[in-house]
Amino acid sequence: MSADRATLVALSHVWVAARDPLTCARFAEDIVGLQRSEETADPIALRADDRSRALVFSRGGESRLAVEAWDDAALDDIQSRLSEAGFPARRASADECRARRIQSGLLARDATGNAIEIVTRPERSGRRFFGARDAGLKGVANAGLRSTDVAGDLRFWRSLGAEVSDSVGEIAYLAIDDAHHRIALYPSTSKGPLYLAFEVATLDDLMRANYFLAERQIKIVQGPGRQPASEQVFLHFQGPEGLNYTYVTGMAKRDHSRPPRQFPSVAESLCAWGSRADGAPELSPANQGAEP
Amino acid sequence: MIKLRDVCYVRLGTRDLAAAEAFATGVLGLQVAERSKGALYLRSDDRAHTLCYSEGDPGEQAVGFEVDDEASLQDAAATLERLNHRVFAGSREEAGKRKAQAFIAFDDPTGNRIELAVRPERSGKRYFPTRDCGITGFSHVGLNSTDPARDEAFWTQVCNARVSDRIGDIPLMRVNAIHHTIALVRAPKAGLQHINHQVASNDDVMRSYYLLNEKRVPIVFGPGRHPTSGARFLYFKGPDGLVFEYSVGVDEIEDEASHRPRQFGFEPTSFCMWGAKPQGMALPNATKD
Repeated sequence: MSADRATLVALSHVWVAARDPLTCARFAEDIVGLQRSEETADPIALRADDRSRALVFSRGGESRLAVEAWDDAALDDIQSRLSEAGFPARRASADECRARRIQSGLLARDATGNAIEIVTRPERSGRRFFGARDAGLKGVANAGLRSTDVAGDLRFWRSLGAEVSDSVGEIAYLAIDDAHHRIALYPSTSKGPLYLAFEVATLDDLMRANYFLAERQIKIVQGPGRQPASEQVFLHFQGPEGLNYTYVTGMAKRDHSRPPRQFPSVAESLCAWGSRADGAPELSPANQGAEP
Repeated sequence: MIKLRDVCYVRLGTRDLAAAEAFATGVLGLQVAERSKGALYLRSDDRAHTLCYSEGDPGEQAVGFEVDDEASLQDAAATLERLNHRVFAGSREEAGKRKAQAFIAFDDPTGNRIELAVRPERSGKRYFPTRDCGITGFSHVGLNSTDPARDEAFWTQVCNARVSDRIGDIPLMRVNAIHHTIALVRAPKAGLQHINHQVASNDDVMRSYYLLNEKRVPIVFGPGRHPTSGARFLYFKGPDGLVFEYSVGVDEIEDEASHRPRQFGFEPTSFCMWGAKPQGMALPNATKD
């Protein structure tokens, strides 16, 4: 891997261990607007852009987040850095790679215990993405991860080459490419994915979704709102089995000319418009009493 | 032809001037320009005032439009009288109360009180809102109409208004490049259906949405987006049940000569392309009587 290349190139997909993969997948299709990419009963894979997999549901096992690295040399690099930082990781076997539809992979675990996979060459489809409804989906944008050990998890992600772009209290936004962030770590009492965010093309798409979801009595967890740090407009809502989905649009580019900024853990640091989270304690400020 | 340049003020009667001031400053975000005997003058842009509350019957409402000069005012009066509108010529003192040089008043065919004003004052001091609402100025009014086709003819043939778009038989009419300055709304009697102020950004609309919710101001429609003008909007209720609107991003008609009004069906998506539904605010009733 040449030095000028980023170690990580993209957020790849989220694999969700579900009790009822079919119900989860139907929601992802009919409500979120994803497209089924494989006709298998388990796992059920869905796409949001030209990559074959954005979200996978499978019965049992463990949920995991996959990020894409440049090539095998990058995997070697990451593996040695993780090892130095005290995070053992192993290469995925040929069978594991086939099951994941990747060329190669490194299976690791952050300090919290979240399964994180670093993958190369995840499959793409020659056929363009066509969503199940007119949601304006542009692809996977970012993911929120629950963290019981933010300092430890930051050490993990820095070993992968991610950098903190901004923090709100202990919440850390991590950049891996030109976007403000692709991963966000949220202090929590448990592990696992907090939300998976999909980019929509316009504010119109996000606001249409707001009324589309409300009409179907789908729980809006927070929003529509605007995240001050990343400038992205967001709408968090809840799917089956407590999995949170998010639509986002308008995220700022990463600004290399400044150090990470610190925002206090108050409501206005999390939403510039005044929306409040309901149903996901991690999304609420630590200082609940603080008024904007 | 009466050449309207722009809408310039609204005058509203109220039984509770203090409540009106609390709303206009604390919720809407206007700036108090002047408090005089029984009247409150409010600013929303570089004009000396764009809204005036005075002690009286809330049914007393008037909308002021700016015309070019006194000669235009005389011509307008003659035109209106020829059409059997009773024209009231304002005295110098009454014009002073409107912060204008001169004015006349008359009723449109539905019975809405309309005023034509010459040289309404501007202020050298810039507008500074009472709260950070992002208001950039008073922009348009929704006017009740008992017969939209008849009233459209009045505004477009006696005055210089042009139809930008229609929803059912409801015309949205402009008097300058801005998509609409007058929106007619079918209703059983005369009255102001809403008063619009423009804000600077979508953020302002959304911030106000959450703030008004917290303040328990009844939000009657939105946040939404009009497919006609393209504006993002929020409608909410003020004193005496009068509806106010914030909006941003209203289109301008780029080519006056070639613009052809579009016809939108009378259905909810013609009023909001996002899917917002009005609550506690009737959509204009398009059924022909």
